[in-house]
Amino acid sequence: MDASALSNPRLQAMLEEEKRKAMANEFVAKLTDVCWDKCITGSIGSSFSNSEASCLSNCAKRFFELKMLIVQRVSSPR
Amino acid sequence: MDSFSSSSGSPPNTEALMDQIKAQLAQAYAQEFLETVGNKCFAKCVTKPGSSLSGSESSCISRCVDRYIEATGIVSRALFSSTH
Repeated sequence: MDASALSNPRLQAMLEEEKRKAMANEFVAKLTDVCWDKCITGSIGSSFSNSEASCLSNCAKRFFELKMLIVQRVSSPR
Repeated sequence: MDSFSSSSGSPPNTEALMDQIKAQLAQAYAQEFLETVGNKCFAKCVTKPGSSLSGSESSCISRCVDRYIEATGIVSRALFSSTH
């Protein structure tokens, strides 16, 4: 492959954008996986109950908080 | 993932390369999603595998796939909408 195609700034910008999207995508997928197991404990209905839906939402937010806490904890000296 | 080199011989075209990358990414996302949904819904709906999928298992799987997509939306909104 010709290196000139790879060094094209438009391609570079697109790759950066796709990298960002891939990280967000992966995080959402990971959280859905974890929170599904935590929140959807009963049989599968034709819609979520209110408590299931709010559990999923809370679970995602709390997991994100936890991640932030861990980053702080690990990066700052005690 | 050998298809990036499939156009060797013709001059590399940035546009085509970008399209190809996007298509492959979309395929990778879809594959990963199918993998996860398959595992989740198999665990939920096929608790005692029989000689074939029963009607109730099939309808459970169909509901489960819908719910998993919905759950992905809920999680995504929880993370990316303004109010925490």
